[in-house]
Amino acid sequence: MLLALSEIRRAKARFTALALAVGLLVFLVLFQQGLRDGLITQFIGALRNQSAPVLVYGEQARQNLEGSQISPDQQAAVAGMEGVARVGRLGEGTFTVSTPVTRAESDPDDRLIDAVIFGYDLDGPGAGLGAPTTLTAGRLPTATGEAVASERNRDEGFDVGDVVRVEPAGLEITVVGVATDVNYSVAPTLFTSWNTYAEARRVRNPDAVDVYPTVLALELADGVDEGDALARITALEGVEALTRQQAVDASPGVAAVSQSLNTVIGLLLLTALLVIGLFVLIITVQKASALTLLRAIGARRSTLVRALLTQTSLVVGAGVVIGSVLLALLAPAASSIGVQFRLGQVLGMGVVTLALSLLASWAAVRRVLRIDPIAATTTQGLLR
Amino acid sequence: MRMALRELRRRPGRFTMATLTLAVLASLLLFLAGLLDGLYLGSTGAIRAQQADVFVYGDTSRDSFLRSRIEPHTREVVRQVAGVTAVGGLGLALVGAAVPGSDDLADAAVIGYELPPRGVPEPPAPGQAWADDRLRAEGVSVGDVLQLGTARIPVEVIGFVDDTNYLLQGALWVEPGTWRAVQNANRPDARVADDIVQVLIVRGDGTASDEELAARIDAATASLGTGSGATSSLTKAEAELSLPGTREQNATFNQILGVTFAVVVLIVALYFALLTLERVPLYGMLKAVGASTRQLFAGVMVQAIVVATAAFAMGAVVVAVGAATAPAELPLAVEQGRVVSTYVVLVLCAVLGSLASLRRVVRIDPAQAIGGGS
Repeated sequence: MLLALSEIRRAKARFTALALAVGLLVFLVLFQQGLRDGLITQFIGALRNQSAPVLVYGEQARQNLEGSQISPDQQAAVAGMEGVARVGRLGEGTFTVSTPVTRAESDPDDRLIDAVIFGYDLDGPGAGLGAPTTLTAGRLPTATGEAVASERNRDEGFDVGDVVRVEPAGLEITVVGVATDVNYSVAPTLFTSWNTYAEARRVRNPDAVDVYPTVLALELADGVDEGDALARITALEGVEALTRQQAVDASPGVAAVSQSLNTVIGLLLLTALLVIGLFVLIITVQKASALTLLRAIGARRSTLVRALLTQTSLVVGAGVVIGSVLLALLAPAASSIGVQFRLGQVLGMGVVTLALSLLASWAAVRRVLRIDPIAATTTQGLLR
Repeated sequence: MRMALRELRRRPGRFTMATLTLAVLASLLLFLAGLLDGLYLGSTGAIRAQQADVFVYGDTSRDSFLRSRIEPHTREVVRQVAGVTAVGGLGLALVGAAVPGSDDLADAAVIGYELPPRGVPEPPAPGQAWADDRLRAEGVSVGDVLQLGTARIPVEVIGFVDDTNYLLQGALWVEPGTWRAVQNANRPDARVADDIVQVLIVRGDGTASDEELAARIDAATASLGTGSGATSSLTKAEAELSLPGTREQNATFNQILGVTFAVVVLIVALYFALLTLERVPLYGMLKAVGASTRQLFAGVMVQAIVVATAAFAMGAVVVAVGAATAPAELPLAVEQGRVVSTYVVLVLCAVLGSLASLRRVVRIDPAQAIGGGS
């Protein structure tokens, strides 16, 4: 221990460089993890944070909200199923809109943006099913032309009181509340009444004759086995019932984002492993003669290996602290893309990095174990 | 240099760790590049196949096929723009297709067209379609009658075409009336009247660049009013990148590829720094007998290039085997150009990494060889 600490004290620059490199890698991994979680929330937040525990998709959609549609016959069949307490209509679509902020832009190309609109029943048997559950300001819509908007897009003209226009005909929707983590497909998102949603569909396409629900929002009766009920609904012609979590997991974009960013995270961890491993090996080779001498004067192999592992753990531990501090400092500035300082994630990362550093030290440990004290008696041996 | 090559021949074990590590990275690079190309080609085939210079969308559509709507009066204005030689309509419907003899639905993009894309014959008779090869993997054969969407509109496949897919969905090329029938029966909220198309493709006479032609078209339709006929025109390259997710997909994959190349530089730098460190006494000796820094460093660089080449070959074999055995739905397309560029960049990264050893080689003092150095 003393040996390890003394060496670190006397070669501060070298060990600081490793600690900084590890710190940077730890920061990058934590940042990418935050980005991944934030992006996934922005892809499916609207599904995760809506009130309906069960969603029924059109079978043709293969669990993709954008491709789903429920015909009136299917709607009636699901509503008539045993164990179904309430059924509401839930519509979803991507629309071209303008907001007070975009309308003030000087470049015409910036005046229109994409927004996702969800429409749910405000009255009738399915009233409130599909409503956002994370309201942070204002209120839920109570009439046609009102909406709750995604809090993340407040500054883009989706704050309480703002009027959003669905183009091209300019259907106006007034924002009456905002909710956290309700984005869908990373676009600004509005939760409005079914009637407003249907009107927006007609604005987009004047030839539209009927507007069918994208999915049905369901509440099962008390005491009904969820698995059995879902299986019975799915057995109906052309529909597929999913729990809220199943719908979230099956959403397009979730798997793609996870796989892409997990690849980057894996690469960064591999880099950390190799950087630490090669660095430790290099400093071991550099001090081979000193280690040989120590062995020759009676230092045990275990003493030298312990010193090496202690040194590695201390430097990597310092790197983890540096990476965590960097994240804590920069997370507030990156909160708009979902990056947050999560203590659990940071601690987990610390454990993983320390485990990696011990694994990475394997080659250096082998080299220390192979040192032959007799080599200290030859010039060649001390130079090696 | 000969000595460096001889060392590689006689002590290959010394380079095994670096070669294997780089081989893993090379296979990852090729796999990611293949996936990027496969996704891009599979998504943009329907656009790339068009023999058109400019794509015209409705101005409030944000360049989305599904949100775009072109009325006949807009089409007429576009047709009269100076330099325009041909105008054709396009319409798109994304549906599930029931394939005879298969329990699973196939993802299909029904595309109504007027001007034939490259490799696609003239529009077939109503109720018939040219299918993309991708649908073969879903069990579709010539003569099959597919039932499209929830309304189960029947369409007979009369032949196959290649590389014309849209967002990884197998294209079915039909005449505009068949597209409207599929769209109207399956999506009543997206119904289209007889004379409406979603997008216009425009061919120019070559007197103006594609950008100029697009600007002329938008200027000509601007007077029709926003949302009432004004247009947003894109060149073919812009239209490819306007497809949902394409731009983001390219950016994400290129970021991953960039990180991987940076890792290669770092690994090669650290590995050859270690090798050089181990050889300090030997290099001191060689310098003492007259070897120059240049000669010694050339040896390091040659070894880095050979290691990178061997690693790339191993990685390429792994990816080739993987591509041959991968399921058809995995959009992996390992293009020859991409293989060459990946190899070149990998070698450049290896050379760049080996440069890290240069300083150490320069500093070696020949006096060390006779015990005069430290």
